[in-house]
This record gives sequence, structure tokens and C-alpha cells, in this order.
Amino acid sequence: MEVKFAVKRYDPITNADKSTQTYTAEVDEGDMVLDALLQIRDEQDPTLAFRGSCRTGFCGDCTMTVNGKGAIACRTKVKKAWDGAEDGAIELEPLKMSRQMKDLVYNAREFHWNKFRAVEPWVDPVQPPEKGEHLVPGGHDKHLTESMRCTQCGLCDQGCTVLVVDKTFVGPAALTKAYRVVADERDSRKRQRLDKLSLPRGMWDCTHCFEASEHCPKYIEPTDRIFDLHDMAIKAEAGPPKVVHHYKSFAASVKAHGWLDEGRLAIETEGFTNVKGLMKLLPLAVKAGLKGKHPMPYMLHKKRPGHEQIKRIFEKWESKG
Amino acid sequence: MTTNGQVKTKYAFYPGCVSKGGCPELYEAVVQVAEKLGFELDDKALESAGCTGAGVLSKEVSDPINARTFAMAEAAGLEIMTICSTCQGIMTQAHHRLKDEEYRAMINRDFLAEEGLEYKGTTVIRHMLWAIVEDFGLDKLKSMVKRPLNGLPIAHFYGCYMKRPPELMVPKEFAKTRKTALEDVIEALGGKAVKTSGRGKCCGFPILTSNEDNSMAMLGDHTLDAKAKGVKAMVTPCPLCHLQLDGKQADAEAHKQEEIDMPVFHLPQLVGLALGFTPKEMNLQRHLVSTKSIEEELGIGVEVKA
Repeated sequence: MEVKFAVKRYDPITNADKSTQTYTAEVDEGDMVLDALLQIRDEQDPTLAFRGSCRTGFCGDCTMTVNGKGAIACRTKVKKAWDGAEDGAIELEPLKMSRQMKDLVYNAREFHWNKFRAVEPWVDPVQPPEKGEHLVPGGHDKHLTESMRCTQCGLCDQGCTVLVVDKTFVGPAALTKAYRVVADERDSRKRQRLDKLSLPRGMWDCTHCFEASEHCPKYIEPTDRIFDLHDMAIKAEAGPPKVVHHYKSFAASVKAHGWLDEGRLAIETEGFTNVKGLMKLLPLAVKAGLKGKHPMPYMLHKKRPGHEQIKRIFEKWESKG
Repeated sequence: MTTNGQVKTKYAFYPGCVSKGGCPELYEAVVQVAEKLGFELDDKALESAGCTGAGVLSKEVSDPINARTFAMAEAAGLEIMTICSTCQGIMTQAHHRLKDEEYRAMINRDFLAEEGLEYKGTTVIRHMLWAIVEDFGLDKLKSMVKRPLNGLPIAHFYGCYMKRPPELMVPKEFAKTRKTALEDVIEALGGKAVKTSGRGKCCGFPILTSNEDNSMAMLGDHTLDAKAKGVKAMVTPCPLCHLQLDGKQADAEAHKQEEIDMPVFHLPQLVGLALGFTPKEMNLQRHLVSTKSIEEELGIGVEVKA
């Protein structure tokens, strides 16, 4: 099968202009994109740079952009990419969220490792074991097994909608790693970690849009892991004040009324004593009010018929700890 | 069968908080459009159901609340119809977890038994958009159009939860109907669906509290991209997206220092306009961004009997 690849090339020394070079290769039906790249480098162009290692989807090294979408090159069939090619060639580019260093090699330090380092991804045990290893009773680490499968391929970050507008956001990959240590029962710095993750550009900038989960090739569900971090933080009251107010007000109004009191949520998120914040709400509240779009808060927010049952469910949950 | 020959489809109606709070125009539009389409919305079956949790409440408490809602619809023998992507997404995720028999038994025993309820795991939850495409049918919708959208370029804006997680929201058996449901409805109404970069992305609403700058950048990017592609209006099946796209558009203009002026419709409003309802009946006067330009394009003012 003859296929064409359009590779976005860049050589920091000889070619400051980023150009696209087209290669034609004869590949087998079952070949993966990485197989084809290795073949092109061996047979046609030894200067072509890309990352690749295990060739079995295990190491997460060969992440790149194939036809505009993030992909693991050794898990992407050439045939499928060829069928999906729009301009007569499979388009290959480095990951979009990062700086191109050479050809398909992106800057992993900026993109990954600095963010991973920021979440301090190592367990700090409560007490070093007296001898041997720190043992966790069977089953106590079941919730961690998914996040431990992460190969740091970076596809979740590639899909993240927040990183598009703000590259300083810590991103789902590092947050999934953070979950792995925060939720480890051996760790002694849970609260401290949740506080740190709550700093600006941290976990509260996540929109829960599920792009990260959609992009994860290992089904780790990074979005759910970020939900879990948020849950832990709210229980420990570790988030930024406005966020904690928001979550608590949401829960309090559903618990009391059976459904959300949006007017109350807006006021309590800012905080009663935060005059500046409340004043900021005013213009939109007035505009919406004039259009008949302003929900009435507190006593004017009717209780739903089943509110006692909702309250009972909340109390039952709270009593479970 | 109803008098006009349509198959009557009955649902346990779950309007959600926002359609009765920040977006009352949506609720009123749904009730009228549903009646026109012959959907029977039973508003008694779930009248005592609670909030889905919207991704804010912990799953530990929202799963029991949602299981309770599912149990009530199951007892009434009805499918649930939502009109909010967020309600739909959160419920579908809870529904998926509750397929696990052990987990469902725990929820039934610890939370629902006291009220005499039991969820058996059979409830179906369907957004109005899916109900229109899957239960009602696009051809039938097309045949009911009285005021075609005349090729008006309209951007479909799904929001997050109608599309993701894909294995739950657009499973294989529904790939045909759900992948392009919103585009297909726009086209059936006579409009032209225009692909924009924000079509399946987050609108930015969930991070208004934690990072307003990023939220406004996202909103600005999505609406400005639509504008650059010649789009005249956007349409969304999610009232939270509407609160952002319409309600916060002025702030995004300030953030981007650029005029946007992009009218945004709730899905049932756009359907309603094409079926002949007046802008007043669809409550367009309640939007913060004026929809007058669209009304003029469609020559509204001329009487059409709905």
C-alpha cells in the first residue's frame, strides 16, 4: 500500500522556516504510523526526528498530532490515518500544545515535566516503616490502580480546552498524577497537597468537560480523577474561599429545597461580607432581572415536594462520613 | 394517536433547575413546542425529584438522589426527558454506575428503601434533542415547518455533556442519530449548520467562579470564531451554555475588546420559531443579546399561524 505523509518539519539550526515535507512510503496494511516513520528514517531521510520507543503503546513516548488530532503513533494504524487524510497525505505534526523542538519532537520539559514536578508526584509516608516496605492492606489501593496506568503520553493535555486559552494551567495529566499521591493512604501531606493544588492555575481551573477522558488511550478517566480531587478538597475545605462557598451553598440549597437556589448561590459564592464582589454581581443581576430572568433566592425559592427525602439522603450520606 | 395523526410520545419530564430559574424562557418554550410535536410531558411523575448534582455535588450523594429519580420514572413506566445537557450528562453517568448490581443494591438498601423505593436499573433518559431525532423523526419535523430558516447560517453548540464521555453519550447504537443530531435539526428546519471550533467544546461556564479570565477567553473565542465564519446565530441544547453564551457575552466583549453581537437560541426556541410560534411566545425578549436581526432575516412580523 503506497501512502503519503506530510510532515511539519523544523530544524532549529539549518531551517528556521517551518516547512512541510512530503514523503511517499510503501507500507503493509497492518503497519502503525511509527513503523512507517522508522522506515522513512531508515530508507529515505536520516535527518527526520521523532520520538518513539516501546512500539507497543506502553511507554507514551511517540505522542504526536496525526491529521490534526493527538495520537500515539505506535497505536495508530497507517491505513486508518490514510483513510482519514483530507489533503492527499497523512498530516504529521508535533503535539500542538507545546513548542516544536525539531520535526515531530515537542518540548516535553515545558509541557510535561515542569507540571509533573509542580505536583510533587511522590508519596511522603506518614511514618517510615521500621523495617522492610510500607505495606498497604489488600484492596486499599484499588482506587489507585487506574491512575497508576498513566504513561504520561500527554494526550489528555492535548485535548484540554483550558490549555488552549491558558498554557500555564497545570492540566489533566499532572492532576491525574496528583490524584495518585493525594489518594494514597500512605501519604502524610494530603491537606497540604490539596491546598497547593488549589492555588491559581491549579485544579479549580478544570471545567470537567471530559475532553481529557475522551483523549486518554488508557481509559484512566482523568476527568473523574479531577472530580475526585475536588470532592476531597471540598470535604477538607481546602479550596479557594469563593470555590468552597460555591460548593457549600450548592449543597446547602439542594439539601434544604431539593433543588438548586441559583440566586442564593450567586450571593453566597461571593460571600455576604464581600461587598466588592456583591457589587460586581449587580449590573448583570439588574439586566437579567429586567428581562425576567432573575431567580428569586432564599424564602422566595420554593421547596420541591420531595425536599424532606432529599434532606434525608444528604443526612444519611453525611453520617456515613 | 392524536387528532392530527401524530404518535403521542409520553415522557416523565425533568426540566432541571435552570429552566425554572435563570432561563425561564426555556421552560415556557419547551412546553409549547412539545405540545405542538405531540410529546406528552408528564410533570407529575418526577415532581418530587431532586437536583442531579450538576457535577458540583459529590457522586456519593448525587448517585442516590439520581437513583431515586430513576426509580420514580421506572415506577411510572416512563422514559425521562431532560432539556438540559448537564442534567442529561450527570444522569447518564449515574445511570451507568448504577448498572453495577452490587452498587445499585447498596444505594437501594441504604438510601431508597426507607422511602419504599427501589431502582431496578431499567430507566431510559433522553434529552429533548435526542427525542426529536430518535422518537419523532426529522422528516416529520421537516413536514411541520411553517417558517423555514431560509438557509440561515447557524452554529451548533452542543456543550460538553451531550458528547462526552462518548461511550455513554454517543454509544454505537445511537451513533447515527446523535453524532450530528443538532446539525440535522438545524438543516431540517431549513437552516445551514456551520461548523465552528467551539461546537463540541466547553463554553467556560463551569470556571466562572474560579477563573473568570479563562472563562471569558473561551466564550470570546467560540463566539468570535462563529462570527468570523459568517454565522448569524448559535443554538444550544444546554441552558448553562446559554447562560454563558448569551448572559455573559457582554463581558466577553469587554475581555476581547471586540464587538460580538451573536444571538443565541435554546434549541426548542429555534424549533418553535420554524414551526411558526412568535418570538414573544418563544420568549426571545428575555435574552440579553437581541435576536432582532434573526427575526428580520426571517421576515417575522408577517403573521404565520402556529
